[in-house]
Amino acid sequence: MSDVVFWSLAACAAIGALTAVLTRDVMRLALGLGLVLLATAGFFALFGFGFLALAEVFVYAGGVLVLVLFAIMLVHRAEPGMPSLSSSHSSLVFGACLGLFAFLVSYLRPLATSLSPSSGGGVDALGTVLLGEMLLPFELAGLLLLAALVAVVSVMGGDRR
Amino acid sequence: MSALIVSVGLFCTGLYAVLTRRDLIAILVGVEIMMAGALLLLVMVGASAANGASVHAVGLLILILAASEAAVGLALLVAAARRLSTTRVDEMTEVKG
Repeated sequence: MSDVVFWSLAACAAIGALTAVLTRDVMRLALGLGLVLLATAGFFALFGFGFLALAEVFVYAGGVLVLVLFAIMLVHRAEPGMPSLSSSHSSLVFGACLGLFAFLVSYLRPLATSLSPSSGGGVDALGTVLLGEMLLPFELAGLLLLAALVAVVSVMGGDRR
Repeated sequence: MSALIVSVGLFCTGLYAVLTRRDLIAILVGVEIMMAGALLLLVMVGASAANGASVHAVGLLILILAASEAAVGLALLVAAARRLSTTRVDEMTEVKG
């Protein structure tokens, strides 16, 4: 059962990623990204990281994907009937990516020997870790979010000066 | 092994999109797919770790990092499109501020 779910999620992720690489329609690009993100959240849930799966759905599928759709609506003015996205597929880049894939799989193979679903610690253990041994990274993440907010306001309001 | 292939495959597909796409928004989507692949690899490897809560916390922090990157990247995309009237990277030839 677990294998069936795993390979179904892998197929969803592969379809979404290939759509994002190959499509010429900008809305299908966003839908491909959404499929990849939802499949990723499914993997997290399958491996026992329920809270992370929920955060992925809320932050990515609910936040970043909507931001991408807003950006598409703000900037894309494609002529009707014309393909709006172009790409320059080259066999050299494809070969380089394939080589990197083979290298990474062979290099990281020792890490993949004992993959198995776990409990992920639960939300109470996550809170204890976040406010205990990982308090500094947690606070720095908050600072990063504030810096990103200021940067976005600065970049978007820059035209008014 | 299969989990490793899926996550590295996602990462390399995203990299291919970054290197071959000519539109800024498609390049950003490629970066997001790369991030998703890397995060997936971390979580899948960490699933077998003794302290699952630490892996959970690190995954959450990386998620925050990736969300910040996406927000700033999309703001830069909209600002560049307004200023240059294009989102194609091969038409962005000026670096003057």
